[in-house]
Amino acid sequence: MTATVNKIQTSIKSLLTVFLVVAVILPLAKMLALVTYSDLGAVLTSPRLWRAVKNSVSVSAAASFIAISTAMLAAFCVSRCDIRNRRIFNVMAALPMLIPSVSHGMGLIIMFGRNGVLTNILGIEGSLYGFWGIAAGSVFYSFPLAYLMLENILRYEDTSPYEAAEVLGISCARQFMSITLPYMRKPLASVIFAVFTMIVTDYGVPLTIGGRYVTLPVMMYEEVVGLLKFGSGSVIGALLLIPAAVSFIFDSFTHDIGNQSYLAHTRRLKVSRVINTMARIYCGIICVTALLPVLSFLFLAFVRKYPWDMSLTLYNVTNSFRRGAGTYMKNSLIIALCVATSGVIMSYLAAYLTARSEGSSSRALHFASITSIAVPGIVLGIAYVLLFRTTFLYGTMGILILVNLTHFFASPYLMAYNSLNKVNRNLEAVGMTLGVGRWRIIRDVIVPLTASTIVEMWSYFFINSMMTISAVAFLSNVRTRPLSMMIPSFEANMQFESAAFVSLLILAVNVTMKGLMGIINGILRRRRELC
Amino acid sequence: MDLLNLPVKLQARGLTMRYGANEILGGVSFDAKSGEFLSILGPSGCGKTTVLGILVGLLKPESGSVFKDGADITGVHPSKRGMGIVFQNYALFQNMTVLGNVEYALRIKKETRGQSREIAASIIERVGLKEHMHKKPHRLSGGQQQRVAVARTLAMGPDVVLLDEPMSALDAATRLQMREELIDIKDTFGTTMIYVTHDQEEAFALSDRVIVMETGKISQFDTPENIICNPANEYVRDFVVRNIELKLKSLTKYINNKI
Repeated sequence: MTATVNKIQTSIKSLLTVFLVVAVILPLAKMLALVTYSDLGAVLTSPRLWRAVKNSVSVSAAASFIAISTAMLAAFCVSRCDIRNRRIFNVMAALPMLIPSVSHGMGLIIMFGRNGVLTNILGIEGSLYGFWGIAAGSVFYSFPLAYLMLENILRYEDTSPYEAAEVLGISCARQFMSITLPYMRKPLASVIFAVFTMIVTDYGVPLTIGGRYVTLPVMMYEEVVGLLKFGSGSVIGALLLIPAAVSFIFDSFTHDIGNQSYLAHTRRLKVSRVINTMARIYCGIICVTALLPVLSFLFLAFVRKYPWDMSLTLYNVTNSFRRGAGTYMKNSLIIALCVATSGVIMSYLAAYLTARSEGSSSRALHFASITSIAVPGIVLGIAYVLLFRTTFLYGTMGILILVNLTHFFASPYLMAYNSLNKVNRNLEAVGMTLGVGRWRIIRDVIVPLTASTIVEMWSYFFINSMMTISAVAFLSNVRTRPLSMMIPSFEANMQFESAAFVSLLILAVNVTMKGLMGIINGILRRRRELC
Repeated sequence: MDLLNLPVKLQARGLTMRYGANEILGGVSFDAKSGEFLSILGPSGCGKTTVLGILVGLLKPESGSVFKDGADITGVHPSKRGMGIVFQNYALFQNMTVLGNVEYALRIKKETRGQSREIAASIIERVGLKEHMHKKPHRLSGGQQQRVAVARTLAMGPDVVLLDEPMSALDAATRLQMREELIDIKDTFGTTMIYVTHDQEEAFALSDRVIVMETGKISQFDTPENIICNPANEYVRDFVVRNIELKLKSLTKYINNKI
């Protein structure tokens, strides 16, 4: 029984809906409205565009395939085999998620470039730049997402069919074909869409390591930032909306986003010793590989000029700070803190209203809240430039906060939506009969019950704001530039050592934040179990 | 207890309700006497929970009124009706202890702020949860959690307590025990109880009178004995009486075998 909805709630709902429409849909509409026939004709007939489309699709397909198959194997190992220190592996596998995608491209250059650390040690020949470089960097960058999604899917798989199959004497291969595959089909399709979209819309990796191999996001960046051709930028932006839109539509048709609170019977299945050992070795290799870029940054950041002058130095530290790393760090922290705090308040409020009251206004707000998931950062960036160029917001910290808030809104919203759906639906009604208002129940009962989700939402906003460059690349200036933007500019000047140091700096902030959130969640858990 | 001599506590007059094109209630009227244990019995979807929601004020009827002690309370805020409700899944505040749950609303209410702990502790003791006072709900059994929900409601001093299928999550043995306890609580606190259930046996065992509902309408409203002896129509016969006959048959078989 849901208590009757009052006016305050309805007005908050409409306010949030209007905000999201202005922040997501209006800029996109403006961008699409600016596309003229001549631009469209010019862009669509240019062979450069079609080459970029071909490049983008082929390299993203290859990288998605590699990332998903390696992640799938890892997810199988972790969920089905006896891996010691499962938690450590999960942390390691997610580590690449805490550094910007530009850094992944750079990490590869440092390791395998013409004078890379590993190139010199192993004596490898051949160029890294181009197709395989982008593919490899994208695999690094997208592996954590693929792994976390797949691991989550496999962890909650109902194991009772396997037990039944075991009793019936059905072989492993048959079990895989008739139980695992059918179960995985839809979620796997979601993972493929998500990973492909992430790679095809990323421009950090191809920017650093693409060389002459131009992909769509890089082309768009060049058109807009280099040539100030907003018209053709918009056309490419519209093209880049397609994969995300398709994946969004697919997801909303195949399963109701957010309502996956089923209880499955999960028990660890028996696996042979040999397979266990192989699984452990595989997970070990993944761990080391995931750590490689970080290790190479650590090495490079404190070397004078690799590989000519290998003396240990703090030059890169002082160089970075002389060039404003301190100010940019402050910018980044201000942006991340503002985005995280306002983002949590808004997405939690939106999720509360949609999860715990019915009606068409709830559905409208739910839809508005998840649409941003279908808009790639660079597209959002250019759309913001076009819409806000003439307003007071342009060139301020405010627009960077706004664009990040919008860009990262959907995931934390869904986290809150899921956990608020699981909280007993009669709490507000009980409160009403006891003379305790809705907002008090939220404050005293519902927020404490969902505290760990709130912590997770906060850190999601914070970490992503710390590392993003996609949307902010179009919107920041010398004064408001966040720290992550130093990486591509150092790189453009071949100062890989300083770029490595900045990447480490971002990683350090994010790791600290993750650790802090872990501690807070530990305290919350202990408090929950107390008494 | 002679019901005829008791004053009327609660009256429902012509309650109707619809969600879109679906008629949920088509004119429901009844009264509950002071101190009565009244059950609303019916299959799921018959509208019994909607009646409860209207009585306590969480739902607004499309038409019809609710009277308490003779006064029209249809538009009165749920917290000002002197009524409490216990939900099917109890809806306890999982982040608070038993004491916290019972004390919470008292602490917010102006009149009881000072003695809130005292009141809460005495009620917890009276429902037999004294030794669990400082535990959180997830450490208690289903029956104990239900008692916390009842105590939380009783703390506000209602003279009518509504219960929405409160036993459905309990095992058979606990249900039997909770039946006794509910009657005890009703007698100690002198409250009128309105109990919604789909379990015939429970309704007949607990109640002074039973309302049998069928898709938004009252089929029969009488004492358990009268319903069993004179079912008003086919529906009541099917839903209520036949069920009891079946049980009786197996019971007779059992006794015959024993002998």
